[in-house]
Amino acid sequence: MTAFFDILFGGVFHAAVLFLVAAGLQLVFGVQKIVNLACGSFYALGAYFGVSAVNWATGSGVPPHLFLPVLLLAGIVLGVIGPPIERLLRTIYHRDEAFQLLLTFALVLMFQDVLRFFWGANPQQLGDLVMTYGKLGAGGVQVPTYNILVIASSIVIAFGIGGFLQRTRFGRILRATAENREMSEAVGVNVRWVYASVFTLGTVLGTVGGALVVPTAAASLDMPVELVVEAFAVVVIGGLGSMRGALVGALIVGLMRALAIRYYAELEMLAIYLVVIMVLIARPAGLFGKPVE
Amino acid sequence: MNRNRRNVLKALGGSAAALGAQPYLSFPAIGQARPLRIGIITPKAGIAGTIGECGLRGCQFAVDRINASGGIAGRKIELIVEEETNPKDSIERLRKLVLQDKVDCVQGIISSGVSLAMGPVAEEMKALTIFWDGTTQDGVKETMAKPRYVFRSTDNECEAVMASLLVVKHWKGQFKTVAGINPDYSYGRNNFAAFQALLKKFGIEHQVVADQWPKVGTTDLNSHVAALKAAKPDLVFSSLLFADLPIFMRTAHGAGLMDGGTKFAFPAAGFQHTALKKSFTPEGMIFGHNTLYFDLPNASPLQKQFVQEYEAKYKDYPHWEADRAYFAMHVYKAGVEAAYKAKNAWPSQEDIISAMEGVKIESLGGPGHMRSDHIAEQTFYQGITTHKNRYDFPTLGQIDTMYSDQLQKPPGADFWKWIETAQIKL
Repeated sequence: MTAFFDILFGGVFHAAVLFLVAAGLQLVFGVQKIVNLACGSFYALGAYFGVSAVNWATGSGVPPHLFLPVLLLAGIVLGVIGPPIERLLRTIYHRDEAFQLLLTFALVLMFQDVLRFFWGANPQQLGDLVMTYGKLGAGGVQVPTYNILVIASSIVIAFGIGGFLQRTRFGRILRATAENREMSEAVGVNVRWVYASVFTLGTVLGTVGGALVVPTAAASLDMPVELVVEAFAVVVIGGLGSMRGALVGALIVGLMRALAIRYYAELEMLAIYLVVIMVLIARPAGLFGKPVE
Repeated sequence: MNRNRRNVLKALGGSAAALGAQPYLSFPAIGQARPLRIGIITPKAGIAGTIGECGLRGCQFAVDRINASGGIAGRKIELIVEEETNPKDSIERLRKLVLQDKVDCVQGIISSGVSLAMGPVAEEMKALTIFWDGTTQDGVKETMAKPRYVFRSTDNECEAVMASLLVVKHWKGQFKTVAGINPDYSYGRNNFAAFQALLKKFGIEHQVVADQWPKVGTTDLNSHVAALKAAKPDLVFSSLLFADLPIFMRTAHGAGLMDGGTKFAFPAAGFQHTALKKSFTPEGMIFGHNTLYFDLPNASPLQKQFVQEYEAKYKDYPHWEADRAYFAMHVYKAGVEAAYKAKNAWPSQEDIISAMEGVKIESLGGPGHMRSDHIAEQTFYQGITTHKNRYDFPTLGQIDTMYSDQLQKPPGADFWKWIETAQIKL
């Protein structure tokens, strides 16, 4: 039973972080129809900036147990990069999808140099800060409290976005714009502003994900590619553009990965992509393949 | 421009000053005409960026000292540094260094993937090349049986062999089940296989209850640790060596993997020694520091000076890549100077290569030499960790020192047969 819960927590923690990045990807595609390869770069930027923010905060006398709010704030502050990047993407809204992939891939490469310029080549870590909140345990199961807080944060964000999209006026505007941009413009929606807002929100989801994960991991230049591969598996399983799909897809990928690692470690990626293939055969649009819910 | 009037004058001026200080050395003017150009190829980014950086610092330390004492046979050294990335691009940079920059020697390389691809190219180009590291072979078989222009460092498996020997020495009879978590490429696979082969050689019955192979660069190891914990091993052997090692240690500590008396051996922990904080890295583990242990109590004056300067300059403590780079530079220096002395004129590349074979060096970490088959032998350090020190990370409380002729196969031998037949003293 101990092993079951250890594996479950490992899988759900991975899923929690994956969900944030995939949710950003889904939101941007759902409304703007942009496949944003740079979502992994936002995740990496959040991780690096999170390290700097926590180091600055602890150096300035902020108590170590407040590092979680500092990380959340760091991720949110990075939303400022959203509008200028969205402005850049406007040039390809009406062009072939290949241009989207080329431009967002160019952003990945540019961000890699930006990260290297500001933080250097070495992976950045936060030492043992993750243990500031101690551990939770029952029986033989032990989980750092911080990991539980990250899972809880992702759940809160997931429900927050769901409620925002379903129950607020702006959420309805977003869904309407996703369904029919021209009609939304015709009835007076400022689509440019909607797009800038959505892209900024998608960016913040990625940067918050990176900032939250860094105390348990490391900020490295390889992060963008590492995560984006799994994020796209989440998107295919869940359905491109679906927030509910992002949540379920992330859980499937996280748990499949944990189970594969436990029982046949060499098949980690194969197990994930077997699910992808099965979903593509059975439900080509993904499990929740609607634009935006 | 690397070659200009100012550089030449500086080289001449420096050489003249050195000659004045050391009148017993005399080299003809032709030998001082231009600096020796050494091309360095080392990673500056990614998971191996920190390792390349440390190597480059060790290399720069060697060059500064050599230039301050008059250079190599009277010629100052000029470094041209290129980035090591994937094999294809790194080989392009080798070509650039040799054909465009016309370097006298190429040094560097951390990745086995790059060195395995670059070796034959360097041979074909007749480019004198000394690898710092990256010597994991294809299934531990030599891919270049008789190189002429390429020299390489000790087998990467040396640290796994030594850690396995220390496991036998210190913990024989204290474990029955073992687990491995090793990087998913030939280095990690060879190391874990060597560990098991050595347990077998010493008659230790054991059962492998888990073997994890995280891909290099994996930063979420929660599921790997959960799998290890579920297997309940008595001993974990891990040759993780990049940023994933501190992540593993922190994750394992958080999940309680270290609470049940499980023993741990980390042959390559020295690469990450300062990142393994005491708060999540218990005492009593086997740590490998390879060819440079920065806190060696009876270290040579050379090592002490290097460590002091390194700490003062970079606010950090060096690991073995600095030693590998220093060793490579001094093997080249010794070869050039021996060939020069024999010929009493500036030697050809062929003369230098012949002189490098068998040359003995006092490196940062201790004595070493270059075998006639172009494979280095050096001094290795491993031991059991302690928290009784002035640092915020563990150091070695009990230190074992071995020369690599006890840790790697002799010229021409098969690695696995050597393990079976070698007379190894514990």
